[in-house]
Amino acid sequence: MTRGEIQSRILEIFKEEFEIENPGLDDDLRDKHEFDSIDALDLLSRIEDLLGSSLTQDEKKQAMNIRTIHHIIDYVELMAAKRS
Amino acid sequence: MERRVVITGAAAITPIGHRKDEILDSLVNGKSGVAPLREDDLLSGYIHSKVFGTVGYPIAYDFDRKYRKTMGPVSFYACQVAKEAIEAAGLERGFLSSGRVGVAFGSTHGSPTVQRDIYKNFFSRSQSRFSSIGAVDYLKSMVHTTAVNITKMFGITGRVIASSTACATSSQAIGFGYETIKFGMQDAMVCGGADEYDTTTVAVFDNLLACSTDFNATPHLTPRPFDLRRDGLVVGEGGGAVILEEYDMAKRRGAHILGEVIGFGCNNNGGDLILPSPKGVAEVIRLGLENAAISPDQVDFVSAHATATKMGDIIEAKAIHSIYGDVPYVTGLKGYMGHTMASCGVIEAVITLYMMEKGIVAPTLNLEEIDERCAMIRHATKLHEFPIKIASVENFAFGGVNTSIIIKKFE
Repeated sequence: MTRGEIQSRILEIFKEEFEIENPGLDDDLRDKHEFDSIDALDLLSRIEDLLGSSLTQDEKKQAMNIRTIHHIIDYVELMAAKRS
Repeated sequence: MERRVVITGAAAITPIGHRKDEILDSLVNGKSGVAPLREDDLLSGYIHSKVFGTVGYPIAYDFDRKYRKTMGPVSFYACQVAKEAIEAAGLERGFLSSGRVGVAFGSTHGSPTVQRDIYKNFFSRSQSRFSSIGAVDYLKSMVHTTAVNITKMFGITGRVIASSTACATSSQAIGFGYETIKFGMQDAMVCGGADEYDTTTVAVFDNLLACSTDFNATPHLTPRPFDLRRDGLVVGEGGGAVILEEYDMAKRRGAHILGEVIGFGCNNNGGDLILPSPKGVAEVIRLGLENAAISPDQVDFVSAHATATKMGDIIEAKAIHSIYGDVPYVTGLKGYMGHTMASCGVIEAVITLYMMEKGIVAPTLNLEEIDERCAMIRHATKLHEFPIKIASVENFAFGGVNTSIIIKKFE
């Protein structure tokens, strides 16, 4: 999965799952879009679907400080690389 | 400090309609909301009773995702009726978030639909998703889900009372809300209850041989409160809410007052968890009257719990007679919609308010031949034009919990 493909899938998930359309890639998701910890956990579940494998508890905890779409893309890229 | 408590908003989603005009139309024209039980590929095939009090019409919800994400079906009903009741009462956002407004709201067991999905995933050997139990499944399904989803949607910061006493859930919510305002703890309360479509509850009553089974092919003919051919209850779904408010405040802000709660009685049978107790039921009626400081002859309408079980209706009729004689009209509103479980108390209270306002007493639907063992009270068997002044709304629950709410027409 290229970085561009990851970005497009994440934006698609934000639109379909969280009803947030075209967020700025560096927007603070919590401040600007009311994206909270519940949403973050749901997003992790979608990321597992995307990766085709489970995330460990430590990997999930690692994601809890993520604030922007850019950070999410970085995170997915890292998790995908670990699994390849 | 004892303060007067009035009702300034009411709303209901019921098997016989959503909003006052639809509900009154069903009452006046004898329309039933009981329909065939839906197939759920789980339990419905094994259940003998094939009928359900069904909300069979679409509801146009307009909740943002930030609210929807923690709501199971039961909270959709709860938040919708709360929204309509709050709007009807005209309560402003600043007041709702002042700490002087609370919520007393419940359901039988949260959202069984969500719980079922959790367990389906939990026990599935072929789950397709990795994190099959969602982060918010607990928030959607927990027993106080209705109450706290209402607080979230309306920014309510006062007390939360999440009663969960099966069929007495929402009558307790109204009663506890009434006491909370009466004794000065809050100035207004959003009170009520809701339950969603659920075959688990039908299965529970079916196993206890308490469900109606003789009218599977003609759902509109059951349940039949106090009727000779009654053969059990019909489980239903729905939601209802009332806004209770301290009288002086309601008057000051020019609120439209629908009625006044003047008394509440609540007790337990102290024994059997299923069978109603003649002593317990008569006592709760007496407690309600004592709390309202009125005599039995002042009550001119009784909304009976009347689930249409063989024994329950006889016990209730005798208890009503022991206190009221044959003076007040008695209607079993479940004849129209079945037993909406946690929401039955509030729905029956809301319908009583509607009838008070319109000056009618609706008959007990499907009461064609009164069982002589229930005949000692004044059954409403046809539509009456009648000005209800003081009504008693009675509800009884598994676990031996009984309630009586006394509502007075506001003049």
